[in-house]
Amino acid sequence: MILKADNISKTFFRNTGSANYFYAVSSLSLEVPSGSVTVLTGRSGSGKTTLLNMLAGILEPTEGKVLLDDTDLYSLKDDELSRFRNKRIGVVPQGRSAVDTLTVMENILLPAKLYEKTAPAEEARQRMDDFEIDHLADAMPRELSGGELRRMAIIRALVQNPDVLFADEPTGDLDDENTEKVLSALSSFAHDQKKAVFIVTHENDALKYADRIFRMEKGRIDLQENQPGNSV
Amino acid sequence: MTGMTSLSVKNLKRKPGRTIALVLLTAFLALAVFGGSVVVLSLRNGLQSLEARLGADIILVPSEAQSKVSFQNMFLQGTTGAFYMDASVTEKALEVPGVEKAAPQVFLASLKADCCSIKIQVIGIDPEKDFTVQPWIARSLTGELGEMEVAVGCKVEADIGEIIRIYEQRCKVIARLEPTGTGLDTAVYCNMDTMNKLLAAAEAKGISHKITSDDDSVVSAVYIKVKDGYDIDTVNTALTGKLRKVTAVRTRSMITGVSDSLAGVSRTVSTMIVVIWVLAFIILLLSYVMIIRERSREFAVLRVLGASRKMLGRMALLESAACGLMGGILGVIVAAVGVFAFASLIESSLGLPYLMPAFSTVLLLAIGTILLSIAVSAAASALSAWRLSRVNPGTALREGN
Amino acid sequence: MKKQIIPGCVMLVLALVISIGSFTFLSPCVHEDGSVGACWWAGRALLGLGCLLGILAVLTIVSGRARFGTYLSSIAVCVLGILTPGTLISLCRMSSMHCRAVMQPAMIILFAAGGLTAAIGAWVGSKDKWGKQ
Repeated sequence: MILKADNISKTFFRNTGSANYFYAVSSLSLEVPSGSVTVLTGRSGSGKTTLLNMLAGILEPTEGKVLLDDTDLYSLKDDELSRFRNKRIGVVPQGRSAVDTLTVMENILLPAKLYEKTAPAEEARQRMDDFEIDHLADAMPRELSGGELRRMAIIRALVQNPDVLFADEPTGDLDDENTEKVLSALSSFAHDQKKAVFIVTHENDALKYADRIFRMEKGRIDLQENQPGNSV
Repeated sequence: MTGMTSLSVKNLKRKPGRTIALVLLTAFLALAVFGGSVVVLSLRNGLQSLEARLGADIILVPSEAQSKVSFQNMFLQGTTGAFYMDASVTEKALEVPGVEKAAPQVFLASLKADCCSIKIQVIGIDPEKDFTVQPWIARSLTGELGEMEVAVGCKVEADIGEIIRIYEQRCKVIARLEPTGTGLDTAVYCNMDTMNKLLAAAEAKGISHKITSDDDSVVSAVYIKVKDGYDIDTVNTALTGKLRKVTAVRTRSMITGVSDSLAGVSRTVSTMIVVIWVLAFIILLLSYVMIIRERSREFAVLRVLGASRKMLGRMALLESAACGLMGGILGVIVAAVGVFAFASLIESSLGLPYLMPAFSTVLLLAIGTILLSIAVSAAASALSAWRLSRVNPGTALREGN
Repeated sequence: MKKQIIPGCVMLVLALVISIGSFTFLSPCVHEDGSVGACWWAGRALLGLGCLLGILAVLTIVSGRARFGTYLSSIAVCVLGILTPGTLISLCRMSSMHCRAVMQPAMIILFAAGGLTAAIGAWVGSKDKWGKQ
């Protein structure tokens, strides 16, 4: 399995200064292979989240294609793309991403419930136990701390069992111990289950789990570090 | 239950404040429509009933009796009246060209009897000549009114077989009449023999019906049916000319007067309903627009997890339709309790003929109101449902971080 | 605890409306000559039942131990209140009289609301007492 970005770019309209449009992401190509952890770093406003959203099928590029195996994501109709993403692409969004009217357990099982698949409740409980939030299964999101909500979002993505997992600042709000647990779990998900993991972060803790490290600056991407045998 | 349906139900249950506010707003709409419609329909039924009950083309009453307006009140509000003229008026009226039938009635206002603490109207009819009340009595009574037997209007709370006392005379109730929505619902009907006994009893109590000291035979009103082919106004003029101290009342003018009042009330009620609906729709629309801001993050998360635009739009519409359904049912129930429990109060306040519609009509009206509530609620949320389904997850999730 | 008191507060408001209403805006008929009919006594009975409902409502608010029992008693009082005007004590014969047109329907609605509120209070109390079913 491989996710490929082929000359993708994204422009936004911004009514400031002399230019009406600005390039959030300049034309770039990229591959995210299975069985690896890719980390993207960069300063705030460099276009990391925009790139992640385009790769995850959430934000259509202005130009270029995103292919998962041979499927051009943005050639699909919305219904097809949504179902495709639910099945094969998992996302841990930045910040708070809980549905407030559902319990923690219901939030975790939500991806399966959307398309009436069998809910992996046992796996969910196991993961919750690993991340020490098993006692919060019936709690509402408003009762959880930022760190607990972050762990819930990560468990949700893992339990969804996608082929590609995108995580935007997964270790924000987490203490050192839980940061290690989360990164370790993501690494294990990639290497043991032959999945692709793509992490956007500005913290250094993730770097030691990375097979490839990219740095983004003003919409452009540079490979910083690559393990032998990996393609760019 | 599908995943999205289950999610919609949870959204409604776990945000009770928001749900209750939307339900109450829709309930208010439904209450206005259902309640207002029942009142308007009841007024229209009452007018039709009045027309049917009057039956005659012209009614002759003594000139020195109360004016036409007060006589009209006997039919509209059941105010009692007791006025008399010579019984020969009936025969003289039949001599006028164009008069097909003439049916006499005698009125008597009771004292405070044991049946009620106010006066009631007793009406004596001649079953052989009568063509207005008799057909109506015949629907509730197979035989005829015998001596000291009475038929009571539906608003007189007396059971069949019960004895009521009028001027100390014991009268047996043998029939309860169907509702007419007019003042006739508070009247008691008897034949002329019974009426003569009651008049004598009233005389003994010092209430005289004699118009002269020699007079022994009186009537209060004579109902005239005009032959086909004759102009009613012409016959009316002829009757007025022939009969002294008698006023001829055209029933059409009574009905027209009531009809005009009814039209005014209907217009007022209908205008109020429209104004309430427009205002409430605007408030609903604004409420759903405000909800967009509150829920855009939630919808962005659902998009990220794989919910399509169609699924999200359907979910938003389902929630608003559910609020419309609950509000519609609540509004209809509250309005129904109000208009049915307080029907007598509404009727006496309006002072117009008022006859509640049949159960089937009310049921159809209730269903229609509920469907309308669902439609309006869904329409008010359509814009916000469309906008929420098109939320940009990237932007929405970034905001508020 | 708050959940269990709310029905009691609603009942207290209803009891006040019933009691005050029974001799004011929901009063029975008074004849022109000052005499009273059967409906007047129905009004008196309703005043008494309204006061009793008010006392029971106060008990539900202040007494935790007796709360469930007082809610059940309130239901019985409300049933009696519904039956009093027209069934247990007769009213005037004419539907347009104040006792029939206003007092009877209003009291039936108020006592029915009180009974329903008491039933909800008893149900909430039983759930908390014996655990969720």
